[in-house]
Amino acid sequence: MYWISVITESAIFAILALGLDMVWGWCGDFDLAFYGYLALGSYMTMVLTIGKPTPPTEYILGLTLPYPLAIVVADVLVVALAAIIGAVALRNLREIYFAVTTLGAVSALYLIVEIYTPLFDGYNGLFGLINPGQSALNLTYNGYRQVFMVIVLVILALTYLVVQRLSKSPFGRMLRAVREDERAAAAYGRGIFFAKYRAYLFGAALAGLAGGLFAAYISAFNPSAWTPQELLVIYAAILVGGRGNPRGVIVGVFVVYIGFIELTRYLPSPASRPEFAPALRQVLIGLLIILMLRFRPAGIFAERSGGGRASRAEGPDPAVPDPAQPAGLGADS
Amino acid sequence: MNGEILRIENLSKSFGGVTAVRGCTFSVTQGTVLGLIGPNGAGKSTVVDLVSGFGRPDAGRITFAGTQITGRRPDAIARLGLIRTFQTPREWPRLTVLQNVLVARCAYSREALLRTIVRGRSIRRDELADQIKVMEILDRYQLADLRDIKAGDLSGGQKRLLEFARIAAADPSLVILDEPMGGVNPVLGTRIGEAVRQFADDGHTVIVVEHNLPFIERICDEVVVMDTGEVIAQGPFDSLRDNPRVVDAYLGMDQSHD
Repeated sequence: MYWISVITESAIFAILALGLDMVWGWCGDFDLAFYGYLALGSYMTMVLTIGKPTPPTEYILGLTLPYPLAIVVADVLVVALAAIIGAVALRNLREIYFAVTTLGAVSALYLIVEIYTPLFDGYNGLFGLINPGQSALNLTYNGYRQVFMVIVLVILALTYLVVQRLSKSPFGRMLRAVREDERAAAAYGRGIFFAKYRAYLFGAALAGLAGGLFAAYISAFNPSAWTPQELLVIYAAILVGGRGNPRGVIVGVFVVYIGFIELTRYLPSPASRPEFAPALRQVLIGLLIILMLRFRPAGIFAERSGGGRASRAEGPDPAVPDPAQPAGLGADS
Repeated sequence: MNGEILRIENLSKSFGGVTAVRGCTFSVTQGTVLGLIGPNGAGKSTVVDLVSGFGRPDAGRITFAGTQITGRRPDAIARLGLIRTFQTPREWPRLTVLQNVLVARCAYSREALLRTIVRGRSIRRDELADQIKVMEILDRYQLADLRDIKAGDLSGGQKRLLEFARIAAADPSLVILDEPMGGVNPVLGTRIGEAVRQFADDGHTVIVVEHNLPFIERICDEVVVMDTGEVIAQGPFDSLRDNPRVVDAYLGMDQSHD
C-alpha cells in the first residue's frame, strides 16, 4: 500500500514536471506559477464533482459531473488562467522579471483562494472526492488504489510519448533555438511570443491534468497543499534528471520523490520534533541542487532535441580539421 | 531579373536627441550585391535594423518585393524572404551544427503543435526528404564532419561559415550581411567573398555592410555610401573613388585631427 501511494504520487508529479520542463527546459523561462495551475486543476475538479456544499462550508458550483469529464473541464479553466498570465509575462519579460511576475501571479491566486471563502472555502479547503468510480468499478478500497495507480501510470506514459514526440520534433527544436538566441530566431522568421506561448499553454494543460489526478489521489485540497516551496522540489527533480530531456525529467521525479521519502523515513527522527524530517528534506533538496549544478549540470540525461543526434562531445573534436584555419582551406578546391 | 527588390524612401530614426538616420533613400536591384559603407556612426547598422524590423523608423517607407514592410515585426519580415545577420555570429550554441541549419531552413509548417502530435510521422518524412539538401549545404561550407558538434563549440571562423550555411538553408530572396568580415583571416575572407558572389549568382540579392573596402570593391556591383545618417553617394565602386564627398567622409576625420 505504501509503495502504491509513493508511485502514484511520483507519477502525478512527473506529469506536472513534464509540463514545467517544456517552459523551463525548452524555452528557458523560470516559471513560479506552475504549482498554481496544479492547484487550480485540483480545486476545479473537486467543485465539479463533490456536489453542493453543506453549510457552513461554501464553494462555487458544487456539481456532480463524472470525474474524467470534470478533469477536462477543470483543465480548460487552467489553460484559460495560463493564457492570461502567459500573455502578460511572456510578451517582453525574461529571466528574473519573468520569474517575479509569475511569482506575483501565483501569490495573488493563493491569497484570493485563501481569503475569499465563497470560492474554494478558504483555508479549510475542499474534501470529499474519495475514490471516484469505486462503486461503479466494484472494487475494494485497496483494489481501487491499485487500479488508480495503473491509470495514472498509463496517463503518464501517454503524456511522455506526446511530450517526447514534441521534444524531438521541429517544434521542440525551434523552441530551443528561441531559448538560445531570441533575436537570431526572430531573424529566421520565428514569432518569439507565439512560440513560447504555445509551449506555455501546453505545459499548463499538463499541470492542470496533474492537478485533476492529484485531487482524487489525496481526496482533499486546501492552501497548505500547494505552498510555493513544493515547486522547488519539482525544479530539483528536473535538474537531477536532465533539463530538456523528457525521459530524464521522469527519472528525476522518481529519484527525488522516492529517494527523499525513503531517506527521511529511515533517518532517526526525534519524537519530540515532528518537523525534523520535512525540514531535513528541504535542506537535502537544497544540497542536491548545489551538488548537481557543481558536478553534473546537464543532469542524468542530457538534452537531446530533434533533427540529428546531439553531440556527446564537450568540445570540438580535435581530429576534425578546422576549415576556418588557413591550413585547412589550402586544400579546398 | 533587373527589378527593384528593396526600396528605402526618406527613412529617419533618432535615439533620444541623436539622429542616427536622416532622410535615407536608396534602392537595390534584384540579383545584385550592394555594398553599404561609411565611417563608424554613419547609420549603416541602424538602416539594417530598420529594414529587418529590429527597429521602428520615425519616418519613411520601406518596400520589399512590392510589399510595404515599414514597422513590421522582424519575424514577419523574415517570413517574406528577407534574412539578416548580426555583426557577431549568432548561432544557437547548444543546438548542433545540423540542428542550427535545420532551424534556419525555416520550414514553419513543420513546427505546428497539433500537427506534430497527430501527424508526427509525416513531419519526420518531410524532414528526411529535406536532408539531402541540408547535407549538401553543410558540405559546401565544410561543416559536414562537424554536424553533431554543438554550435557553441565551433571556432570563430567556423561560426562565420555556419552563418552562411544557415542563410543558404533559409534560401531568402534578400540577405543583409552585417560586417561578415569581422575577425576573419584573409583565407577565410576569400572563401566568404566567394560565398557572397555565389548567392548573387544563384539569384539572391545581397546587401553587405562592411568596412573592408578591398572586399567591397571585389564583390559588389554597386555601393551606397553613408555619412552622419545620410546617403551621400550611390554607384559602382569605381565611380566613387573621385567623389569628393566620399573622400571627405572617409578621410575628413583624419584631416580634422590635424
